[in-house]
Amino acid sequence: MSKPLRIALTKGRLEKDTVGLLESLGFDCTAVHEKGRKLILSIPDANLEVVLAKAADVITYVDRGVCDMGVVGKDTIMEMPGKFFEIVNLGFGRCKFALAAKKGTDFYAGFGVKTIATKYPCVARTFFEAKGMDVEIVKIEGSVELAPLLELSDGIVDIVETGTTLKENGLEVIEDIAPVSARLIVNTVSMKMRQHEIEDLIEKIESRIS
Amino acid sequence: MKNYDLITPEGTNDILFKECIVRRNLEKSVSELFYMRGYNEIITPALEFFDLFNLNSRHFPQEDLYKMVDRKGRLLVLRPDSTMPIARVTATRLREASLPLRLCYNQYAYNISPVMRGRSDQIEQAGIELIGSSEKTADLEVIETAVSVLQECSCGEFSLEIGDIGFFRELMNQLDVDDAMKETIRDLIESKNYPSLNDVLDSIGDNNITKALKMLPRLFGTEEVFEKASKLFSDEKTDRILENLKQLYKDLSRLDHNGRITVDLGMVNRTDYYTGVIIKGYIEGSGDPVLAGGRYDKLISEFGYDVPATGFAVDIDAVAKIKIKKENVRMRKTDTIVYACEGCEMSAVLKARELRNRGKIVEMAVSYDLAEVRKYAQEFGISEIVTVNE
Repeated sequence: MSKPLRIALTKGRLEKDTVGLLESLGFDCTAVHEKGRKLILSIPDANLEVVLAKAADVITYVDRGVCDMGVVGKDTIMEMPGKFFEIVNLGFGRCKFALAAKKGTDFYAGFGVKTIATKYPCVARTFFEAKGMDVEIVKIEGSVELAPLLELSDGIVDIVETGTTLKENGLEVIEDIAPVSARLIVNTVSMKMRQHEIEDLIEKIESRIS
Repeated sequence: MKNYDLITPEGTNDILFKECIVRRNLEKSVSELFYMRGYNEIITPALEFFDLFNLNSRHFPQEDLYKMVDRKGRLLVLRPDSTMPIARVTATRLREASLPLRLCYNQYAYNISPVMRGRSDQIEQAGIELIGSSEKTADLEVIETAVSVLQECSCGEFSLEIGDIGFFRELMNQLDVDDAMKETIRDLIESKNYPSLNDVLDSIGDNNITKALKMLPRLFGTEEVFEKASKLFSDEKTDRILENLKQLYKDLSRLDHNGRITVDLGMVNRTDYYTGVIIKGYIEGSGDPVLAGGRYDKLISEFGYDVPATGFAVDIDAVAKIKIKKENVRMRKTDTIVYACEGCEMSAVLKARELRNRGKIVEMAVSYDLAEVRKYAQEFGISEIVTVNE
């Protein structure tokens, strides 16, 4: 058998959903369930080697070609564009990017420069650039919802799933920016050098999720 | 103030010893392949005017360029590519030269790469440009050279991929959308973003063209691609493009090499001065293509000289990084140390010269302490010490 295809999975929910998908295709994922502290695991009957990583690192590994494929959210892809093929929309991990502000405020009113707090400065910048709007962006690492409450910012650009966190903190969505879901990405060279194996797997996945 | 006197700028590094040997050997063997095909070397300045890289079809994003100003305040860049400068030279100093021109180069290209991804900002590239022919033989010559270069560069499997930008262009010409939408579609095809491409094309409508564009990024592989493509879309122009590409594919299968030849009709590069057949090269161990090129018949005319051309460049840095891991590189070893007793220094220098003339690698001892010199010789495995005492 040829050397296994290496797939990087975003640790956490996307990892569980992907493993679920692979199991539904009939692959034995015992090693991944019983991983302990190991970070590289094998799914022998799919000839896959699973690497567990943080979302941004999944992109780096696939971009650089040390992993052939990866499963990562569209949110991370939008924040960290790279050179890879974005082949399949896996459908799970659904949420959206949205602009939110304090409930009842008119975000676009006035001539002053708006301040935006976000964990995703690149996404926020691109969104306002397309509107021709010059905004000040503040990068926040933790709960972004705090920024408008503390009056650090006029609004936030963040991932919204159910909107409960926004609601409980007196914020509301002003505008949707883009839908988000998990994607299967493939290194550009692997796609060509190992075309048949990768296409086989993609076909199985596509027919499963459609 | 912080001092940056002990580090090199982001994206650059010092290259030492064995890495230099691998690189120089590689440059030599690749250049030799070019010389054997009648190519002559040219060197262009690392500094160029920004304008050279910022017109119509030769658009390089300004945020990726290293910029500075000259003494008159004009904007300069470190060249991000060697094809533009060569097009400039061709349209100016080489304008009266008889065609075809066969030019080769081995020089650095510079671009600002995304931070902290471990990519270089200074990339050594070797390449050729064959200027003055739009014939099939010219394409074949350039691609055969590319295959030989890949064979020379790879330490394992390699593959050369061919495509033709014309197929995509023809489809786009017949699609009634604005330029921004065309760019979106091109970008989604290039990144093989099947789901988003489908969404975008569905919003435009369901017809022959959108159907074909949806499948375009999936049209890569070997011979079967041609049949799939001709079923997808057929008119006089696209049929001819496919027929030529298929013939080229067949011709290349007659080359004797241990790589693979593949085809990808979804190759649609951003910096798009290409007009016809395009190529990419991949070698085992590199996560990026190491070779890229193609036909660019309209580029030089933008400099006022209408002449067709084709060529490619190979990323020497990427290849050298793989070779250093996979090949056993030997440094040259010193054969002899000449040790001078006090007062005999010049005689020792002359002795060393004499030994070198006989083909030995000779170092001078730079200490009068013979015990120290012996220790040094032992450490570096130098078997002979010649003492000069008169």
